[in-house]
Amino acid sequence: MNRRFFILLVLFLTGCATGMRTPGPYPQETPAPETQTAPAGPPAVVALLDDAERQARAGQYARAEEDLERALRIDPRNAGVWHRLARLRYAQGQYHQAIQLASKSNTLANDDRPLRARNWTLIADAHDRIGNPAKARAARDKAILD
Amino acid sequence: MSKPKKSVSRKTRKKTKGRSGPSLMSFVFSRLALILLTAMVGYVVYLDIAVRNKFEGTRWPLPAHVYTRPLEVYADLRLSPAQLMTELDGLGYRQSAAVSAPGTYIRSGSRVTVFARPFTFWDGPRDAIRFSVDFTGERVRRLELGSGSVLDLVRLEPQLAGSILPDQHEDRSLVDLETVPDTLIAGLLAVEDRNFYRHIGIDPRGIARAMWANVTAGRWVQGGSTLTQQLIKNFYLTSERTISRKLQEMIMALLLELHYDKDEILEAYLNEVYLGQTGNRAIHGFGLGSLFYFGRPLKELQLPELALLVGLIKGPSYYNPRVHPKRALQRRELVLTEMVEVNAVTEAEVRRARDLPLGITARGSMTASAYPAYLDFVRRQLSQDYREEDLRSEGLRIFTTLDPYLQRGVERAVTQRLATLERGRAMPSGTLEAAAVVVRSDSGEILALVGGRHARLAGFNRAADALRPIGSLIKPVVYLTALEDPSRYTLATLLDDAPLRVQQRGSPDWVPTNYDQQFHGRVLLIDALAHSYNVSTARLGMQLGVSRVIETFHRLGARREIPSFPSVLLGATSVSPVEVAQIYLTLANNGFRVPLRSIRSVLTQGQDPLARYPLSIEQVIEPAPMALLHFALQEVVRRGTARGLVQRFPAELELAGKTGTTDDFRDSWFAGYSGDYMAVVWVGRDDNTPTGLTGASGAMQVWADIMQQLDLHPLIAPRPDDLQEALIDRQSGGYADGACGDTMRLPFVAGSIPAPASCARTVSKRSDPVRKQNNIGGWFKRLFKNFNE
Repeated sequence: MNRRFFILLVLFLTGCATGMRTPGPYPQETPAPETQTAPAGPPAVVALLDDAERQARAGQYARAEEDLERALRIDPRNAGVWHRLARLRYAQGQYHQAIQLASKSNTLANDDRPLRARNWTLIADAHDRIGNPAKARAARDKAILD
Repeated sequence: MSKPKKSVSRKTRKKTKGRSGPSLMSFVFSRLALILLTAMVGYVVYLDIAVRNKFEGTRWPLPAHVYTRPLEVYADLRLSPAQLMTELDGLGYRQSAAVSAPGTYIRSGSRVTVFARPFTFWDGPRDAIRFSVDFTGERVRRLELGSGSVLDLVRLEPQLAGSILPDQHEDRSLVDLETVPDTLIAGLLAVEDRNFYRHIGIDPRGIARAMWANVTAGRWVQGGSTLTQQLIKNFYLTSERTISRKLQEMIMALLLELHYDKDEILEAYLNEVYLGQTGNRAIHGFGLGSLFYFGRPLKELQLPELALLVGLIKGPSYYNPRVHPKRALQRRELVLTEMVEVNAVTEAEVRRARDLPLGITARGSMTASAYPAYLDFVRRQLSQDYREEDLRSEGLRIFTTLDPYLQRGVERAVTQRLATLERGRAMPSGTLEAAAVVVRSDSGEILALVGGRHARLAGFNRAADALRPIGSLIKPVVYLTALEDPSRYTLATLLDDAPLRVQQRGSPDWVPTNYDQQFHGRVLLIDALAHSYNVSTARLGMQLGVSRVIETFHRLGARREIPSFPSVLLGATSVSPVEVAQIYLTLANNGFRVPLRSIRSVLTQGQDPLARYPLSIEQVIEPAPMALLHFALQEVVRRGTARGLVQRFPAELELAGKTGTTDDFRDSWFAGYSGDYMAVVWVGRDDNTPTGLTGASGAMQVWADIMQQLDLHPLIAPRPDDLQEALIDRQSGGYADGACGDTMRLPFVAGSIPAPASCARTVSKRSDPVRKQNNIGGWFKRLFKNFNE
């Protein structure tokens, strides 16, 4: 009984650790972004973001890109949309761009601390993927500070 | 004598005798006949191969078609009803009260109802959609579907902006037989080939009828060629008119009919037929003919329009409706009459059609030269990824960032403002030239590009190719380099505008002067930039090092290699407006470099996605120096050389920009940006003689005309956490307080706020709340470091 519990505990803790560090094909955030943030923008932008999410989950990354770029034309200062584009790039394995786009999102995020934290986390993960552990650590620190 | 001998000799005798008689002739004749027959058979086989090869191969090199951006409509978009209707007119939509078919719209009051055509975008097809737009003034208030439910967003089709033609300069828009209106086919057969479906390629009855018509008319009115023959003539043969050509044509027509069915031949004909000319661009096929004359797709045309197109076959220039409308009407009448003769249409339909005007669009809709400078730029960008022959022959569909409404507005602004400037200076009309580039800051998308004041002419593309000294427009690059080193330079740093002499090995000394021929002594860094002082900038640049400035220049996106001469610091380097746009785009985009782009995506001729040009950015300037530079460039507008702009724009927009005037007033430049848009304008003379215009009196005026057409948002520079504000004494650049007279508030990177000015009384109160937030310890040390600077 104790051993089973111990094994379960180890598995649980491992799950916690890896769940944060290695996002899957399309990084799922905890908690889900829809509940976390305020309305993402004008209705047109919301509609495009929804479709982008659908396309990305279906692996149709280029179509999701198109949606997000259209959203940016409508609302270019929407930090949330830039963040989504950064996440998409991450899912596409374009880590350098993911970092740039998340940085861009941060320049627009102002007082949205949860969003800034998510940006820094994404930047950190991307640096890990590229192989910049020092920069990843620095970014993670910023995520906590925010 | 043996028998054989006898027979041989008899035969020989006979033969010898026959050679000089009828038998010789028949021998020769039979040999010749054999050779001739072999030759003819060989010839026919040769033609047969030629016919099949071409018909089955890639029949036509298809031009690349270049499209504008698609207009996206959503609530709160700044768009007037008139603007929407201009877009719809540009797409060839007809006004119709019912709005019951795709390609129609109607306006009633502040509501416009549209039935949009289906279209295949890069990310897939969009069905036809019927919707209404409610406006409040010049903004969209609400979008609604036909059913009444709210619509969040609708994307109209892009307009065809131009073509990249194959070597033969033939432009085409392929049509499938199924989509061609029956009326068109009926009209075509009535006029050109009534027995089309019955003959075998040549039509003796048709020839006979034609001859009869010619005889009774007393002149040549009809040929007897079938559609098949016409197709052969146009598709395969040169335009010689000899008997041998005619024979060849007839044989090939028979062969074509042998191998291919009527529908295939008809479809080829419909896409081959020559229907008009504009410049060196030949209009082939009814698909493009419809767009060219009526601005609408073929399947939307009505009887009178189709009849006109059919009528053009016999002589597109002779019956050109834009040049000879009376002839065109008569020809249309003849086609309608023939259609009645064969019962293709009723008398009643023809009566209705007869009353309608020609309906031709005013300009050659979708002319290849509608936006030549923009198209030229698109081609350059495409040539990086596609070979020229593919562009000219594969029928690619290119989707660009061009905003045709803005483009025309920019063209108008250039034309009108240049005329005004010329009048104001008693210059002959046409003296000045200009170039302009308008870009969306966050994406680098080029919305409009003007290569000269005569926008319709495909001439010298000044935006891309006019190399002019960049002049003062390089100064922000110098100042940015300085501001990136906050331990040495801040906006309050005192620069020395006293006379400067720079010795250069192998060249005469460089002695820069200011425009006002004055020297201004000690000036604040921000003032030196705002007022574009040359001497202090040159001195600053020398302190920084020319190579460092060049490094910044490249980091901002300029690709050009420039030599490391001091004169570079004042912009002695020649660049094009597009290059300037790339540099200022990085500034407008808050230090994120993004390549200028005119293409979003490319589809194949079959509407399959081929390529996409995604958004790609790179942060090349840290937020703090970027914020400082924004502030300085806003100061240029608030109080500096661009202060004329405050008369044209509300101060809340906080526009940023830089004027540029080169030696002897030869080049007038302005580059500036708002929250969302960046534009560069150059004004000058092609012969490089002085215009007398400064950046502010010339290019900046055009820039203002352009920007006033856009829905501008204020420039709100992101404020990084390590930025602080402080009151500064304008005389000494020291930290000030209320006791000082002439002060201004300036931003500083944390820890770089200068030492107190002598006028400041409250020296001990330096630890005020604003500064205490950051860097609690250590500011004392930094204070003394600044003091010693």
